[in-house]
Amino acid sequence: MLVDFELIKRAQNRDSAAFNEVVLAYRKRILGTITRLIARTEDVEDVAQEVFLRLYFSLDQLRTPEVFEPWLYRLTVNAAFDYLRKQRRRQEFRMSDLSEQQVLMADAMAGGKVEHEEQLKKKMRESVDSLLGAVSEADRILLMLKEVEGLSLKELEKVYKVNENALKVRLFRARQRVLKAFGAAGKKGGPG
Amino acid sequence: MSMRGNEDEKLDALFRAYRDACPDPEASANFMPTLWARIDSRQAFLFSFRHMANAFVTAAVALSIALGVYMSIPRSTPGSNSETYIEALADANPLETPDIVGSVHLDLNAR
Repeated sequence: MLVDFELIKRAQNRDSAAFNEVVLAYRKRILGTITRLIARTEDVEDVAQEVFLRLYFSLDQLRTPEVFEPWLYRLTVNAAFDYLRKQRRRQEFRMSDLSEQQVLMADAMAGGKVEHEEQLKKKMRESVDSLLGAVSEADRILLMLKEVEGLSLKELEKVYKVNENALKVRLFRARQRVLKAFGAAGKKGGPG
Repeated sequence: MSMRGNEDEKLDALFRAYRDACPDPEASANFMPTLWARIDSRQAFLFSFRHMANAFVTAAVALSIALGVYMSIPRSTPGSNSETYIEALADANPLETPDIVGSVHLDLNAR
């Protein structure tokens, strides 16, 4: 836990200063998770604000501060889902914007080595995003939380409110699909 | 002995590298002001919505009471007939009326 239970209890009682502290403590982590879940840097802050907005208005429903973190993850996953659903409806997958922004970011960085590293990271992000395209949006988010965010099965159980076995099955199937895509990409790319 | 294959390990390494390639970004300077502005705006909306909902419930309760009172008042319009249907029928066809109580004549010798 990044904050103590007392602070969460104070925030539950509509203490603005306490809520501010909670947001400041979790802001960076939530921004990072959303960045990896929605893969659109320009909307990350907007989605993160939506998460904390939902947190503010539903904090009084939290029964025990011990489950605060899984609960915050649940709000994050739901907000990311809502965002992705809205994006799909709009059919606005402007991949060119994303790469343009990354090019601008890379340009702003000084030194050829940094630029090279940034290019490698970009390539890495693109290849993982492409691999995760082999599974559904829901499974992609589940895999991200498990494999990239490092949430344990116990934590995921609290986030998704389903039993561990069901999660294991879902994760196994999703992983198998990604592995299949990974194998296919490896064959296409050739050895090395 | 690990049951995981070579591909599994490669995928794990790829996920780890992905995590490193996507560090947690810093929030912009106006993250908190924008968040509080959104909270205030949502709160104002919820307040007006609650206000409207309360007004609607009060109006609905008042209307129900008024309707209840109206329905419970016995209404007797002047000139209306308070007789029951049977009484009205008996009045219209008194017992001494021949076409109702007259005897039936059956002529058996007609053949």
